[in-house]
Amino acid sequence: MSKAYLRFWGVRGSYSAPFDTHLGVGGNTSCVEIRVDDHIVLCDAGTGIIPFGNEVLKQAADQPKVKDLLIILTHYHWDHICGLPFFVPAFIPNWNITFFGPGHSKRDIEEHVSAQMRAPYFPVGTETWLANVRYLDPPKEQKMDWGPLSFSWRSVHHPGTTYGYRIKVRDKSVLYISDNECLFLDKSIRQKYGEFNAEEQALLTEMQREEYESEIKLIEGADILIHDAQYSLEDYHKKRGWGHSCYIDTVNTAIDAGVKQLYLYHHDPNYDDQVIAGIYEHCQSIIKERNSALECHIAREGMIVDLS
Amino acid sequence: MGSKKAIIVVVDDSPSMKTVFERGTENLEVELRLFQSAEDSWEYLERHQPALLFLNIKMPGRDGLTFLKDLRELPLHKDTRVVMISSKDYAQDRTVASALGALEFITKPTPIRAITEVVLKYLKADPV
Ligand SMILES: [Zn+2]
Ligand SMILES: [Zn+2]
Repeated sequence: MSKAYLRFWGVRGSYSAPFDTHLGVGGNTSCVEIRVDDHIVLCDAGTGIIPFGNEVLKQAADQPKVKDLLIILTHYHWDHICGLPFFVPAFIPNWNITFFGPGHSKRDIEEHVSAQMRAPYFPVGTETWLANVRYLDPPKEQKMDWGPLSFSWRSVHHPGTTYGYRIKVRDKSVLYISDNECLFLDKSIRQKYGEFNAEEQALLTEMQREEYESEIKLIEGADILIHDAQYSLEDYHKKRGWGHSCYIDTVNTAIDAGVKQLYLYHHDPNYDDQVIAGIYEHCQSIIKERNSALECHIAREGMIVDLS
Repeated sequence: MGSKKAIIVVVDDSPSMKTVFERGTENLEVELRLFQSAEDSWEYLERHQPALLFLNIKMPGRDGLTFLKDLRELPLHKDTRVVMISSKDYAQDRTVASALGALEFITKPTPIRAITEVVLKYLKADPV
């Protein structure tokens, strides 16, 4: 029987959190495996890709097709690429590893992936990778197929060029938006509204509406949305402009967009299991208050979501 | 035609910004050309160098920073005067834009007079 699922290998943002108080949620940084039969796409390559690599090595003996991996990167901040120097399949001949991410050409993507392994930051460079490594040129139409999967991307609100991916798995849409500060412009407008004249204020109201529509458009139709929910409201007030969402904005936007299942992701490494349990409870109360059918979960390391 | 109006190109998907640009330049001797995405503007920009080019960053299709890198590879746009205009008020966006030769980084929300001022500043410096 054919199988389709996704698995969370790393759910933390910023840096890994290997503390015993945090391990119910998990300590590794961003990495999600999406698998349809033996076709595998990895979203991001944070430290979560290291245990994935060790696991897939075992599977390769009787499932040779798993040696063909696509890694799609949202961006090149360390928490999303720092597992690559320890990703064992890259160092083994006859594995095929394909990369895609932000960049204006495949050279650009290669440059970004390779930079962290240069001296003096790492003892060996990507030239020691023995796998067949390829980098994909960005196609004009902003979408691609990978076996039975297809995916497209859009730039999101995070420092530097950062993508959010929409991945079609059979009849399901999975959205992977690990880093995105939703409602940023909305808040900027609210803060500065008084500095504008009446004509401009009317335009600002228009702009707020446009921006909100574009945030809804980004995630609407999602069966599964994996989205940045890094900060509590208190922390968001201190860290507005760092490129991450307050979980309250994430859950409200998901409700407005009619998302079916939301997985809160890119958890702050300072938040232990208890804090994250509190976030979960608060989200459930927001959903109830708003009479929404949204299913909301905390993304946890090792969690598997059926896509068949 | 006959007129020697300087051409200002804006690539931004926001309709309200279109109004901000129209109002900000209505009393200036310039011609505005507005495009909603990098892709829509490509056919024009492949062949024309505007006096000033405004680029939004987060848009459907190619983002403004990646698009600026594409443009800089064309000999025609090696020195095109570019101003970024974005809600993405992050240091990294400013650094990348500046490394790609962008002259200014204007954040949204933007007052109408900010557009007038930046257009005047660069057109006065080197009128077309
Ligand atoms: Zn991150
Ligand atoms: Zn980041």
